[in-house]
Amino acid sequence: MKSLYLAFQVYLAFAKKSFQRRMQYRVANLAGLTTNFFFLLVHIFVYTAFYAARTTPQPLNLDEIITYFVLCQVSFMLMPFWGTRSEVTSAIKDGSVALQLTKPVDFQTYWFADECGRAFYYLLMRGLPTFLISILFFKVTIPHQPTVLMAFAVSMTFAIFMSNAITITIFSSGFWTLDTTGISGMSYSIITLFSGMLVPIALWPEGLAHVARWLPFEGLIDIPFSIYLGKITGVEVWIAIGKQMVWNLFFIGLGRFLLTRGFSRLVIQGG
Amino acid sequence: MYHLSLYFHFVKLRIRSQMEYRLSFVFDVFAQASISVIDFFMIALLFNRFKELAGWSLWEVGFLYGMIGVCFALAEMFGRGFDVFQRNIVRGDFDTVLIRPLGTFFQVFSHEFLLRRLGRIAQALVVFLIANSQLTVTWSITKVGYLLISLVSGTCFFIGLFVIGATSCFWTVQSIEIINIFTNGGVFMGSYPFSIYRWWFRHFFTFIVPLACVNYFPSLFLLGKIELSGTSPIGVQLAPFAGFLFLGVTMLFWRWGVLHYQSTGH
Repeated sequence: MKSLYLAFQVYLAFAKKSFQRRMQYRVANLAGLTTNFFFLLVHIFVYTAFYAARTTPQPLNLDEIITYFVLCQVSFMLMPFWGTRSEVTSAIKDGSVALQLTKPVDFQTYWFADECGRAFYYLLMRGLPTFLISILFFKVTIPHQPTVLMAFAVSMTFAIFMSNAITITIFSSGFWTLDTTGISGMSYSIITLFSGMLVPIALWPEGLAHVARWLPFEGLIDIPFSIYLGKITGVEVWIAIGKQMVWNLFFIGLGRFLLTRGFSRLVIQGG
Repeated sequence: MYHLSLYFHFVKLRIRSQMEYRLSFVFDVFAQASISVIDFFMIALLFNRFKELAGWSLWEVGFLYGMIGVCFALAEMFGRGFDVFQRNIVRGDFDTVLIRPLGTFFQVFSHEFLLRRLGRIAQALVVFLIANSQLTVTWSITKVGYLLISLVSGTCFFIGLFVIGATSCFWTVQSIEIINIFTNGGVFMGSYPFSIYRWWFRHFFTFIVPLACVNYFPSLFLLGKIELSGTSPIGVQLAPFAGFLFLGVTMLFWRWGVLHYQSTGH
């Protein structure tokens, strides 16, 4: 038990370092905030216009849609691909991964901790301000039941973990391809669409929505936000969170597999 | 004339160097196209549920989307030199530009040419052509000419945005990311009819940053929607020139910016 606690302390220290490193870029963060708001505003204009012409009730009403996209911008930087990633991602390409490997820690856990520090930074410095300012300007729904908020917090945590696990998996492919732009470009299209980031899955045609339900990516956006909006209730919440957990394990396992195989054939670039 | 032949020479060199990695090039062209397909897929999903947007049908919006997509991709192709200009400043490479017997604007402009944007151009063009085939646009010589001028002007508009981003590097060294709001964000908001935006938003993107002139006003004319939209016909006829004007102003800004250049040294 004690050794487990000590190990946790080590990885926590890595996460903290990763958090602190990002605190330096205040101006860049401000620019990012502005961009977040711009896209949020355009989304709201578009949906308001779409809803204006419809009289039949929709699976999500306009206020819920607005809340959904506020949450999208809040967690935008937490998704795979967005913004600068940890040094580890480029380390495989430039060979400095050799240096990282000399650390007497589990590499994947170390990388994961680093990504968690990054996520926490963006949650606090980008997500929170986005949310607070949005409350002032738009009609953002806030759930009243503490159970909903708790379920959302749990689900959101798993969403962030999965995003990190996916990031690690994708960048681990760099051991084979060196240049990960191709694979991240392809996954980008699939993930932005099937996470529900572009259009909430509730508004999709049934057949396609069904496909999305069988893919892991709804766990990044659609599941936590649907829980927040009270669209998933009761036992369904547990099933949804269970799904997130299973996919988390899947991506962590896949990442571990790729890393182990990658290290065994590792050729360090440069000297 | 001298500049023109020099430009073609530079572009030829650029293309040759990009074709060195042929497989990577082909892969990139397809990746580009597949990424941008998602944007239109999103619009199609929305129309599947809501049928219309402020009196615009899916293919009318596809017309808008295709136009702005082509302009932006062309601008990325030709204006690449300004898009990636910050690295010249960071590395201190701009010093060499200053000592050559050619204008700085021309040198930076002709320095890069991104052929792989062909994928994105093709994707936007396909959407545009499908939209056109689904709509009943009566094409005339005037309309074709108007369309071509609009596309060139729209490309100039986006290049102008890159020029602003590049020029600001003379002061900030690192490029200002805010410009992404107008480039990527501009393509996103320009994919929808401007009438859905609030007046202050609309006016800003018409008179200060003339994004509406890239595709919205031209589409009103080409699709015969001027009267429905209540815009002034003269304004719509002048719209295709806004991009040229915008680029002209940003070129003046560039010249002023160059005067403020302080080398980061070697």
